[in-house]
Formats: sequence, C-alpha cells, structure tokens
Amino acid sequence: MNRFKLIGLIQEALQDNLVICNIGLPSQELYKINDRPNYFYMLGSMGLSSSIGLGLSLSINKNVISIDGDGSVLMNMNTLATIGNRAPANYTLLIIDNESYGSTGDQKTFTNEKTSLKDVAIGAGCEKVIECSGEETLENLTKAIADEDHSYVIISKIKSGNVPIKPIPLNPITIRDRFRKYIGLVSYL
Amino acid sequence: MKISKKIISNLKEGGVDFFLSVPCKLLANMITILEIDKEVYYSGVPREEEGIGICAGAYLGNKLPCIMMQNTGIGNSVNSIVSLLQLYQMPVVFLISYRGTPGESVGAQGGMASITEKILDTLRIPMLHCSVEKDLDKISTFTNHAKVIEGPVAILFNFNLMKQD
Repeated sequence: MNRFKLIGLIQEALQDNLVICNIGLPSQELYKINDRPNYFYMLGSMGLSSSIGLGLSLSINKNVISIDGDGSVLMNMNTLATIGNRAPANYTLLIIDNESYGSTGDQKTFTNEKTSLKDVAIGAGCEKVIECSGEETLENLTKAIADEDHSYVIISKIKSGNVPIKPIPLNPITIRDRFRKYIGLVSYL
Repeated sequence: MKISKKIISNLKEGGVDFFLSVPCKLLANMITILEIDKEVYYSGVPREEEGIGICAGAYLGNKLPCIMMQNTGIGNSVNSIVSLLQLYQMPVVFLISYRGTPGESVGAQGGMASITEKILDTLRIPMLHCSVEKDLDKISTFTNHAKVIEGPVAILFNFNLMKQD
C-alpha cells in the first residue's frame, strides 16, 4: 500500500475530525481525495505538523489528528518528548512511515536503516504507541480517536511511491479561515 | 520578581492565555510564576521551532500564544516564522530575553545579540525594546497589536533591566 491508498482508506476516521496535514504530497493527496474545511493543509514549515496539532488539541475540546511523515518527524524529533509529556487524550499523531522523503524524490530516510520511530516515541514518553501495516491503520486510528482517556501515536508502515498530483490551489488565508469557521471562530465567511 | 510579575501580568492583560518557553536564566522567575498560574496554559518545550508550531495550533484553537525564549532562539525560528506564522497570518507574541546586551557576563552571547534586531527587522516583525521599568507599561497594548496585525510581534528585554527583578 502506498500513501495515496492509505489516505483514501482512513477518510472514514478523519473526515469529521480536525486534521493537520503535513506539507507537500500528503496534503496534496488529502486535498485530491476528499477536500474538507476541517483539514488544515500545511504549505510550509516542514516538521511541524505534529506540533501544530498538539497546540490545537491543548486549546480545544475536539479530536485532533496530526498526519505526519517519517522524514518530518525525524526533522522535529524533540516534539515526541513534548507529546509524551503533554499530549491530551484528544490528540492522535499518525506517522505515515514510507521510509522515504516522498515529496523530494523518494530518498531513503533513517527509518529504512536502524531507526525505529516506535522505539523513539516510547522512549520519549508516549504511552500508547502502535506500529502497524497500512491495512491495519483504519482500525487502529478509529480506536485511538475513540479512546477518551489516552493520546496515541500510530506509525503506519507503507511502501514508498507517489501518484501524479498538482499543488493545492487554496491560498493560506482561505485554509486558515475555513478551518477556524468549522470550529466556530469565524463569522464573516 | 517585580519585573517578572509585571511582564507576565501585562502580557495577560494584553490577551495572552497560552505560554511556552525554552528556558533562559533571565526567564527563570517568569517561568516560576507561570508554573503556578491556573488562569493560563504553560509548558516548557525543548526547541523554539517546535514551540512556534504549538503556538500556531493554539491560535487555530482561539488562544493568543506567547513563546518565551533567548534571542539565540530566534536563529532557530526563522523558517517557522515566515512559512507558518506569517504565511497564515497568525498572531504570536515572542518574549525574548536579550542576552549579550550590557550587563551580560558571557562574551559568546555577543554574536547573536549583534544580529538579533537585524533578523527581526528583516522578518518585518514589530519590536518593543524594554530597557527600563517604565517600558513595561507598553507591553499590553503591544501584545494586542499582534491580534490587530494578525502576525508575530517581539518584545525584547535587556539584561540590565532583569537585574532589578
């Protein structure tokens, strides 16, 4: 299973929740598969999807899912310690681990060698950490979102590979404002 | 403690209700105050760039966030300021201890001190520079300014000012 198929598979769990999606192909694929106002597409700041979702989950009483990648988590690995110590139960981090920098030409990341993000997350203090195949991701994600007592980190191991796709046509303020309108914070749209 | 109390109180008056910090010894008293403050959220974070991501999320959830750091941290923050906070027009207050200003005992702090304001200026971030106690009275208005301009603002406070804390 590649990332495009996985993102399609998990729509049932995502589409009624607040989602922060990683920059580049993950956001472009999510936009193409099922564009929703409650999906926040990152257009910059690689590495910060996990952190943005964490800040949102600390500020609001709704379920928040950060979709991140192995390359991005490796870039901002310290945030796993913050998540391990501070994440509320309404926060879920889904790391799509295809062992490569998909958006930049599928160069291999260190998860293709010795690094296990599952072990890193556990060592960082995350208590509920699940590593699973792409096929098992929907079931685990659904369980994680439904659990009102614990935050989860899910590492979904899939194959690398991309589908032809275009940049997201939305401008950043549109992404911001329709997302905040969905939450109920914008009245002028 | 009096300077630290005044800074935190004025930030709260300006609307800040979500604080993060990457520690600095000049921020130590403010952190102590925030750790027991039940009215606002506070946490330490390991690195500034991550903290800016968390602040962006907090803004999406209707908070007015403040990230506290040394001026050295601005060097770790540039891309996240430009391609997250400014790209999406998100208000965040930067509270920056200005190491390397007169009174500083660590010579190595001089390097980042000499380019801190140039970096902020290049980023077009409005600055409030606090060097005497009276400057602190401007903090709450300046904090609110972040909301008005929908972008980051920076409050810098000098080494010598904190000696009176």
